Amino acid sequence: MLIEKLLNHISNWGKFWFGLIFLGSIFNAMLEKFTLLSGTPYIWVLAFGSGALIGFVARIRGAWL
Amino acid sequence: MRESSEIAAEFSFEKEKAIAKSFSQRFQWEMILIGLGQAAIWLSLWPLVLNGFLDLWAGFLIASLCACFAYLPSHEAQHGNYSRGNPKLRWLDDLVGHITLVTLKFPYHILRITHMKHHAYTNDQEKDPDYLNAHNTSVPKVIKNVLDGSTLQFDKYLDVFASDKAFVNSFHQAIPIALFYKLAPLVLVIIFPFETLLLWWLPAKIGSVYTTVFFSYFPHIGTSTGRYMNTRFWSHWMPRYINHSMQLHFIHHLHPSIGHFDEPKAVEALKTFLIARNVPGADQIPEKVSYNPLIKF
Repeated sequence: MLIEKLLNHISNWGKFWFGLIFLGSIFNAMLEKFTLLSGTPYIWVLAFGSGALIGFVARIRGAWL
Repeated sequence: MRESSEIAAEFSFEKEKAIAKSFSQRFQWEMILIGLGQAAIWLSLWPLVLNGFLDLWAGFLIASLCACFAYLPSHEAQHGNYSRGNPKLRWLDDLVGHITLVTLKFPYHILRITHMKHHAYTNDQEKDPDYLNAHNTSVPKVIKNVLDGSTLQFDKYLDVFASDKAFVNSFHQAIPIALFYKLAPLVLVIIFPFETLLLWWLPAKIGSVYTTVFFSYFPHIGTSTGRYMNTRFWSHWMPRYINHSMQLHFIHHLHPSIGHFDEPKAVEALKTFLIARNVPGADQIPEKVSYNPLIKF
């Protein structure tokens, strides 16, 4: 069942997706707005990469904090 | 605690229940106003902030306040304290229960069924869904766990109560809303990153921390099992209304149908019954429950 698969995926990979999408978007917006790097091309790679990394580490640890 | 057989007839459970019932009749309009009001204010923050009528940081403060007010109206709904047993008014429980929790991003059905289990198995290490929060060792650890989400072991309780069909059905009923609350911020944050962070995600975390510390940790820390022993009266430096009168949480566990704003009068009326039952701290309850402190130091 699709919902069940989706729930399993969220349960296993939710932290990674949250890191990539949520934290990545926040980091991206912060880098664009507040830093000297705002005009740098591909700065979004750094932002979303950092978010994904944090999410991935949280997934491995099983906890955010 | 004294056994029922040792309790004088004038303090019998039947008499206690009759007094409690007299405080369980009133329509809880204030709580409906708070629940729907805070959700409406929270929702209105979005157009106000996005159109530049309100500073984002002011919006964050207001959203955080809304989040702190969000749980209690749902809690009354969880106990059916709006419908008061009238099937024609059940929709009101559901309406307020669902809408007020938008700010906290929690599905009403899951909170309702886990809260019912909390009442049924208070302080039972295996079966009380609030056990980890209520029996943590310090406030900072409670805060850490709430921020981490590590005490929300809904899957565990789905296993524990697997034979309870009503529990399982309600749990499954909540899945679409739970998914919505998981996915909606992920979509919104792409379009409105700072607004999603400061109007929804962070306020929901602050509201969850506030709710867990004052509704779960302080009223139950150090208590055991048993009707008159599983919750406590406690003191706090804050005026009672800032911690949502959770110093009176004991009376809620005793008689959950008593409306929240009627609890002070109920505590006063039932004080002698509680002393007769040797409820810890009951002899310290003042004749008139004031804003603060509830219990004399």
